[in-house]
Amino acid sequence: MPTNKRLLSLDGWAILLSLSLAALIRLGVLKAIPW
Amino acid sequence: MTQENYSVGQSQATSEGFFAQAFALIPGLLLLAVVGYAGKFIEQSIARYGKAHHLTLPNIEYVLWAILIGVIISNTIGVPRVFRAGVATYEFWLKVGIILMGARFVLADVLKLSGVSLLLVLVELLLALSFMTYLGRGFKLSPKLVSLLAVGSSVCGVSAIIATQGAIDADEEDSSVAIAAILLLGAISLVFFPLIGHALHMSDHAYGLWTGLAVDNTAEATAAGAIYSDAAGKFAVVAKTCRNALIGFVVLGYALYWSSKGQASTVTNKGAFLWQKFPKFVLGFLLLSLLVSVGLFNKTQVVALGNLSRWAFLLTFAGVGLRTSFRELGKQGLRPFLVGAIGEIAIAGITLGLVVIADRQFHL
Repeated sequence: MPTNKRLLSLDGWAILLSLSLAALIRLGVLKAIPW
Repeated sequence: MTQENYSVGQSQATSEGFFAQAFALIPGLLLLAVVGYAGKFIEQSIARYGKAHHLTLPNIEYVLWAILIGVIISNTIGVPRVFRAGVATYEFWLKVGIILMGARFVLADVLKLSGVSLLLVLVELLLALSFMTYLGRGFKLSPKLVSLLAVGSSVCGVSAIIATQGAIDADEEDSSVAIAAILLLGAISLVFFPLIGHALHMSDHAYGLWTGLAVDNTAEATAAGAIYSDAAGKFAVVAKTCRNALIGFVVLGYALYWSSKGQASTVTNKGAFLWQKFPKFVLGFLLLSLLVSVGLFNKTQVVALGNLSRWAFLLTFAGVGLRTSFRELGKQGLRPFLVGAIGEIAIAGITLGLVVIADRQFHL
């Protein structure tokens, strides 16, 4: 059974991380560091 | 060992491997953050000094400082092995930055901007592909290297070259020569594009559109736009993303051409091929823009998302500098570089003309 098969592509991880961050901001859990 | 124990053991090993890999990224990520923040610190320090001493100093964006510091490190002491895995994540941060940037656009604006950009991208594609092919043949480069250079300079740099290399069964050496030429020219464009933009007093929109059309690699196109201004960086991303979205069609065209000559594998399912080559992060950008457009986020949250996007780009730009090694790029021979350089200058000139015409027609 292949163990090193990637769960998601780089684009998939980027989308997942971005949407998770957006959800945390929407829920008020995360406040982005001011630019 | 029972099947269950085997599975548990295997999943422990996999998770250990995952954590070991994630841990190996930390030094490089810290280096990206330090170099990027140093660029921001220099920009702010110059602005503060000018304000305190009532001097009008040129506002050089942090992007250029971050890239410059990275280039100096990379070309003097070099990037030690322990940092390399983390530094290589800069492309991931580029994608995260672009997706989060979707929050800074209302979907209607994206569609309007993309309409103009797509029109110009199609003209640019046709001209760039024909010109580079003609030029490469004139310089007697190998036919597959000509294809790689044409795709790299017309669509989207490194990822397009890698996608095409697999699709047309090109040599790895041809591929690395084409990538080196595109990266070296991208680095040079970071200096010349802003100078030309300022000399011609281009608007943020027109300049951003131009860099998105003419600079080949997405990281360099975003950086060249952001060096000019934050707004120009936004427009550069939209134009470049439109170019990236067409990658599948161009690569498919070349794959069919080379397979018809019996020099590449045949493409059985064209739809699956197009989907496989399509840059999926574009969908993330559109989705976030849609969510903001329907009012899911309030104004403060939209600003927070925009700021996160800028922090992701800060890591990207540091990585652009740190991975630029002129010694490595210079090893690839003069002829491909010359073809690339002549082609890029011509494409930059043509796209500048296109943008000027579009500016008059559509009032960018």
